[in-house]
Parts: sequence; C-alpha cells; structure tokens
Amino acid sequence: MLTKLLKHEFRATARIMGPLYLVLLAVALGFNFSARLMDTSNVVLNILAALVILAYVAAIIGVFIVAFILMLQRFYKNLLGDEGYIMFTLPASVHQHVWSKLIVSAVWFIATGVVVILSAFVAAFNVSFLTDLAGIFPKLFQQLNAYYAVNGTAFLMEFMVLMLAACMSFSLQFYAALAVGHSFANHKMAMSVVFFFVFQFVMQMASGILLISLDNGVVQRLLASMDFHFTGVAAMHVAMLGMIVLTVLYGAVFYIVTTITLKKRLNLE
Amino acid sequence: MAVLECKDLTKHYGSAPALTHVNLTIEPGRIVGLLGPNGSGKTTLIKLANGLLTPSEGEVLVCDMVPGKESHACVSYLPERTCIPTWMSVKQLLDFYGDFYRDFNRKAAEEMLQHLNIRLTQRIKQMSKGNREKVQLIMVMSRAAKLYLLDEPIGGVDPATRDYILSTIITNYNPEAAVIISTHLIADVEKVLDEVIFINQGQVVLQSSVDEIREEKGMSVDALFREVFKC
Amino acid sequence: MKWQFSNDAPIYSQLIAQIKVGIVTGAFPPGERLPSVRDLATEAGVNPNTMQRALTELERDGLVYSQRTTGRFVTEDQAMIASAKRSLAERHIQAFLEAMTHLGYDREEILTLLRQEESKGGEDNGSSGV
Repeated sequence: MLTKLLKHEFRATARIMGPLYLVLLAVALGFNFSARLMDTSNVVLNILAALVILAYVAAIIGVFIVAFILMLQRFYKNLLGDEGYIMFTLPASVHQHVWSKLIVSAVWFIATGVVVILSAFVAAFNVSFLTDLAGIFPKLFQQLNAYYAVNGTAFLMEFMVLMLAACMSFSLQFYAALAVGHSFANHKMAMSVVFFFVFQFVMQMASGILLISLDNGVVQRLLASMDFHFTGVAAMHVAMLGMIVLTVLYGAVFYIVTTITLKKRLNLE
Repeated sequence: MAVLECKDLTKHYGSAPALTHVNLTIEPGRIVGLLGPNGSGKTTLIKLANGLLTPSEGEVLVCDMVPGKESHACVSYLPERTCIPTWMSVKQLLDFYGDFYRDFNRKAAEEMLQHLNIRLTQRIKQMSKGNREKVQLIMVMSRAAKLYLLDEPIGGVDPATRDYILSTIITNYNPEAAVIISTHLIADVEKVLDEVIFINQGQVVLQSSVDEIREEKGMSVDALFREVFKC
Repeated sequence: MKWQFSNDAPIYSQLIAQIKVGIVTGAFPPGERLPSVRDLATEAGVNPNTMQRALTELERDGLVYSQRTTGRFVTEDQAMIASAKRSLAERHIQAFLEAMTHLGYDREEILTLLRQEESKGGEDNGSSGV
C-alpha cells in the first residue's frame, strides 16, 4: 500500500517539480552563454548577461521555495482539505500516509539539491574561469584528506545523512503543526501557525534543558564515568553521529504528534 | 451478518452532543435511507463508520470490524461534497481507484463514463459541478463493496442528475451489499429505499420499511417525515 | 411503459396494479418474457426488492410464471388476463362511483349523465363503459 501511495504522491508532485527543473536547467544554459559574452565590451550584451545571471540565482531560490511549499501544500491540501475524505478512507494506515508524504518531500528536497548542482555544472561548462574555480574543490578535498587525515568520504556520508534527517524532521515539524492546527473547528490555518511556533519554543526549551543537564549533573557524571577518550578526528565523527541522533529524535517527536493527532483528532471540514 | 452495527454509539464535539446512544443494525441487500433534518447527526454517523471521527462512547462496526485500514477496503464512500483531486484527468482517477481498491471494476466505470460522453483525457478541473459529482459517484458505484455510504448524493444537483444518480444506484444494486443514503430530500429517494431510519438531534426516532409506513399510516414517508419533524 | 406512483398506497401494490395494466393492455404481451427485476426496477425507478415483491405476488396470482433458468413470463391464459382486466375495470368503476356519490349524485343521475355523455358522440367518451 505504501508503494501505491508513493506512486500517486510522485505523480501529483512530479507534474510541478519536473517542469521546474527543466526551467532551472534552461536558465543555467542561458547563464552559460551569458558568462561567455561577459568578455565582450558591448554594453547591451553585458546588461543582458547580468540579467540572465540574476534570473539564474532567482531560479535556484525559486526551486527551493517551491519544493518547500509543495511539501506543505501536499500535506494540508491532500490530507487535511477536502481530498482528505478520499485519502483517509483508502485502505491505508495513517502511518503509511505520513511516510508517503515524508519520503516524497525528502526525495524532492534531495533532487532539488542535485539538480541545482547539476545546473551549476551546466552553467559553468566550458567557461574558463568558472571551470578553474570548480577544479579547486576536488583538490581542496584531497588536500584536506591528506593534511588532517580526515576520512573525507565518511564525513561526507555523515553530512548527507544529517541533511536528510534534518529535511525530514523539518517537514515533520510542519506536519505536526498543520495536523494539530487543523484538529480545531475554526481558524485551522491560524492555529497551525501558532502551533508551529509553540513547537519551536518547546523544542528550544527542551534542547536548552538538555544542554544544561549535559553540562552539570547526572548526565555529565554518567558520561564521565563511561570514560570516553576521543581525540581529533574521532571526536568529529562522534559529534556528527550525535547530531544525527538528536535530529532523528527531534523528528520522531513530531512524527508521534502528527500520527496520533490524525488518528484520534482528525476533524475534516 | 450485519454490514453496519452501531452499539450505543455516542459522539460529542466538545460538550455539544452530535449523536447519543445510537443502536442500529443494517443487513446486506438493503437500500436504507438515513433521513433527518440538517444537523441531525447523519454526517457524523457516516463519518464515524468511515473512521473519519472516533466515537466518544460505544462502538461502530463495519463488516464486523472497527473502522480502519481493513474496513475501508469493504466500504465505498461518497462524501457530502465532491473532493476528487481536481488536477487529475479521468484516466488518472481511474488509475487511482484501480490501484487502491481491489474490488474496483474499471470496465464498468469506463462504460458509465462513456455513456455520459466524458472523455478519459478530460481533467476534473475543466468539468461542470454536475459532471464532477457524477464522476465521483461512478467511481464509488463501480466498486463491489459490502457497504456503500452515500452522504447527500442528490443534494444540490439538478433533477436530471438526480434521476441519473438514483438509477445508477438501482442498476448497481447487489444483494450482498447494503446501501445507505443520507438525505433530507425524501420524496425523491423514497421509491428507491427498502428501509428508512429517522434521525433527529442525534437520536434514532424510527426505523421501518417504506411500504410498512405506507401500509400502516396510509401516507408516504415524505409526509410522515414532515409530520414527525414539524417545526 | 410509464410508471407513476401516488403517495398513499404501498409502492409494491402500485407496482402490481401497473404491471397488471401493462399485461391487460398488451404492453407485456401474453407468453412474453418480462425484463429482469433489476431492469424493471431501474425503469420504474424503484427499489429492486420492492419490484421483486410485486412480481412474486403476481406470480402467486398466476398472471406471471417463472421458469427457473430463463426468467419470468406473462401468462398465456387469456381467461386469466380477461378476469384481471375485469377486476381492474371494476376498481375504476368503484372509484368513479364513490367520487360521484361524494359529489351528491344518486345512481339514476349518474346513469343519466353517462348516457348524455355517450350521446354527445365524442371520441373522448373512453372505453370505461361496461
């Protein structure tokens, strides 16, 4: 059932994201041409080129914004709006609904990142100074690996996982706020906004308390008694893993809030 | 085996009661009218049977199951208003129903659509309100479900569409399934019903067969309704 | 066939009466197979169970018989159809007389009125005269 939900969720979102990616790549191509024209001394061409560059930057920002809005809109329109009558009477569980939304929006966030990088390659293709610039990164990467003896690949992997977890937790915080806000009879959207900030506040308080308790008291003594010894690189990996775990926990709280609300307090108009 | 059973079913929104201690049993093979004035609890009852609301007290069983993932597979539900995703084409909507419901008879649906001259490439967005309602009804009636829950299927449509909807319900009659039609337009549905349930202020006030009412009271269900619910 | 229903009588009994009329007038000819319950119900816009009940009753009266595999047929017994026709006519006359009595006519006056109507010689004098 989850695969079917995913299929139709992709169908509903691809029709928006697909064309958008094409536009982005097209603008990147335009950027590529403009970058080559920059060398000429023709003023009109230069202004034109500048405009295209501006358009490219706008397109990158635009794609991210649309991916974000789509994540929100699919959740509240498809599940909490009129379409919810159809979705919540499908032979699928609430968990499957939430996961299908979550996975699809995470995939679009990642895809957006990939396409933006791809578009950067398109934009920079064969433009001498940009390719030179791009050539620096791999070298820098190698240098770092060699110099600090950091396992660059592992670090990169950890970073990717962290980003993915962050994307999903980020989405889940919005889902939870929308689900709780829409369980009220009136002012559903306003309540959703209010609850988003309430959640934000609560989570900040919680993490503040966590930090304080880490600094002194039981947790610290516990950690000390376990006698960890990390140095340099290892400490970095532990920090990364710790951050991933915390992000996942953050998301899990909102996942639970979302599913319980949808199960027990669903209140479609 | 009853396809719908309510035992002491109660639902209140906050402190406002919507249904109070409803006891009901619906057997397969029957077309039942759930009749009551606006705000009497018809929609609440149907939403509870669909798991869109959770009971405050008592229970509702659909095909012997508490409403959920499994019961949804044997219930075909027509919500009060049209809510099929408007961006879809008719073909995509058929894919959707076909993917999620094993009992969906795509061929039957396509025939009914063809009969109405609705093309598969047409988008829901571009359709008239009447056609949207018809398309949604076709999706709902093309399933071989055990229980059809039709919430106000004929409210707010023109008389021709009303006839079309009622005849679609009759043509798709299946002796193993029950159909529940909630409405306040009784004169129009009366002939189509086996049984009626009168519901008022969240309580069942009468459950009887249409011809029993006509035989015993010498009046139509519509006339009886007007008498019972006289303001 | 046109189906019409009044509000005061059970639907199944109205269905019986109207199918009888159909048989008597030849809309359902003797020996002919009747449409399926579902088709008849759709045509009349009534509940299939109610239609089923009406047909079962007609079967019990003998106006209709069913063959297990092929469906329901109208009787070929002309005498039975004639008697059905007669009883329908009697019911119309009964209703007519009741209405006239209600208006204050006695039997003699009614007959006189009928004869007057008859002698007008219009085509619209109908076939209800006995």
